Amino acid sequence: MNALVRAEWTKLFTTRVWIGLLLGACALAGGFAALFTGLAGQDSGNGPGIPDVGTPVYEELVLSVAAQASVFLLILGIIGMTQEYRHRTATPTFLTTPRRGRVIAAKVIAYAVAAVPFAIAVLAVNLAVVLVYAGARGDAPALDEDNLRTLLASGLVLVVFTVIGVGVGALVRNQVGAIVGALVYLNVIEPIVASIGSISGIYKWLPGGAVQAITSDFEAPDLLEPWQGVVLLLAYGIGAALVGTAIASRRDVV
Amino acid sequence: MEVSGLTKTFGRVRAVDDLSFTVEPGSVTGFLGPNGAGKTTTLRMALGLLVADSGTATFDGRPYRDLTDPTRVVGAVLETAFHPARSGRNHLRVYCHAAGLPATRADEVLQQVGLADAGSRKAGGYSLGMRQRLALATALLGDPSVLVLDEPANGLDPEGIQWLRGFLRHLAHVEGRTVLVSSHLLAEVEQTVDRVVIVGAGRLVREGSIADLRAGAEGAGSVVVRSPEAARLAPLLEGPGRRVEVEDPTRLTVAGATTDQVGATAFAAGIELHELAARSSGLEQIYFQLTSGTEQYAAAPAGSAR
Repeated sequence: MNALVRAEWTKLFTTRVWIGLLLGACALAGGFAALFTGLAGQDSGNGPGIPDVGTPVYEELVLSVAAQASVFLLILGIIGMTQEYRHRTATPTFLTTPRRGRVIAAKVIAYAVAAVPFAIAVLAVNLAVVLVYAGARGDAPALDEDNLRTLLASGLVLVVFTVIGVGVGALVRNQVGAIVGALVYLNVIEPIVASIGSISGIYKWLPGGAVQAITSDFEAPDLLEPWQGVVLLLAYGIGAALVGTAIASRRDVV
Repeated sequence: MEVSGLTKTFGRVRAVDDLSFTVEPGSVTGFLGPNGAGKTTTLRMALGLLVADSGTATFDGRPYRDLTDPTRVVGAVLETAFHPARSGRNHLRVYCHAAGLPATRADEVLQQVGLADAGSRKAGGYSLGMRQRLALATALLGDPSVLVLDEPANGLDPEGIQWLRGFLRHLAHVEGRTVLVSSHLLAEVEQTVDRVVIVGAGRLVREGSIADLRAGAEGAGSVVVRSPEAARLAPLLEGPGRRVEVEDPTRLTVAGATTDQVGATAFAAGIELHELAARSSGLEQIYFQLTSGTEQYAAAPAGSAR
């Protein structure tokens, strides 16, 4: 299994896809941190704006925005799996390792481990922007228990979404289809489910609801406890990988 | 390698139909048939990439998926596609890692197929011939005792084909590997193979040594003769199994005769010849007869649509 994980790392780092996606994730985390900090405390006049720097609500909001960059890592995972089919390298890959479940398990492990430094980089950019900008505005967040927990939660979301991406890629082998499908699901389907009163109760059981449960405990009252959110999100990641493995093992590689 | 009763249906098309054959160790076997005869499907099933509806394919008695170290037993060239942004050397290193081989094998096989200078270039920029070589290099990584090649001459220029022939002969006859090479052209592999397995419409048509096939094909070809006395020669060439056509007063074709026989007849009658040539080899004719009518998408003969 070690050898297979190394092979997956070689695949990942011998093309430049990861650089672009990591830069995108860092830019998103840093950019929104700057935007939120800039707008913090400004009353927009219609409804509640972003609370002022120094308040716990502001700090949680601005430190959990890094979790939104998870979409880039989701795409990284999807590309990591679907490129085998897109560029037809699935043939030599499965010839070298005929037991396909081992290939997908290795990919899950390789991407989960690689996602850790990626997540740290995203969090570092996010935190650096917040510390400098909020500091300039008079009150940099302290790295107390609450804030560290928010950062850790964001990091966990980033890693788990990478794994979910690999699983989705194994299920939907078409690269464009998998990416578009995942984005439509996250940005269209989940918000609609959450907005319809009679079915909004199931939102907390969806991946997006789990992310919210982990990264924020204000705003929506009917979310799971953070630890339950962690378990649920991990279950989604592992579930996607297992179903993807089961299906990929039986499908014809034409 | 032993294939036994392999069958595969795609939708309503029976691509491979109860196909059985054996590949003898240490030989070069040509796996022949027209396009759509089920060659690629058979090879992909044998290598565990497609799931067979029924039947088995084994290497030394074991299915491919059950081999503990498949890259050391079988090397296969099925695909000439690569990740375009990855260099040839890095492509090979991926599979070195996956197969537990030292990364230095990548450079060794690049050298072997003559790609050493192009190893650090992105595979997306490779020509078709270079892709075939890189695919071959991938197959050779584990130093396998069996090589399975699907249409390896596709897209190669004449020089590349010549190189491939020599390379396959070297792999089989000098290094003692078993080679199974598929092709839709008999002529492409005729000089390289010891044995042939001919399929048509997913079924076995003929299995045996190329020498046997050649013996059966003796005289099955056609011969072109140019002579000022073509009209006098024509009746002399008539005979059982022969078909003589006088194309014009100085030219005729004889089906079912060898150039030797025609030459001898003309010499005995004292007829002057200006040209005596085999138009198609008997072997090619036999192959054509064996597989005709089994093409999946046969075109109507030219002109018949009018």
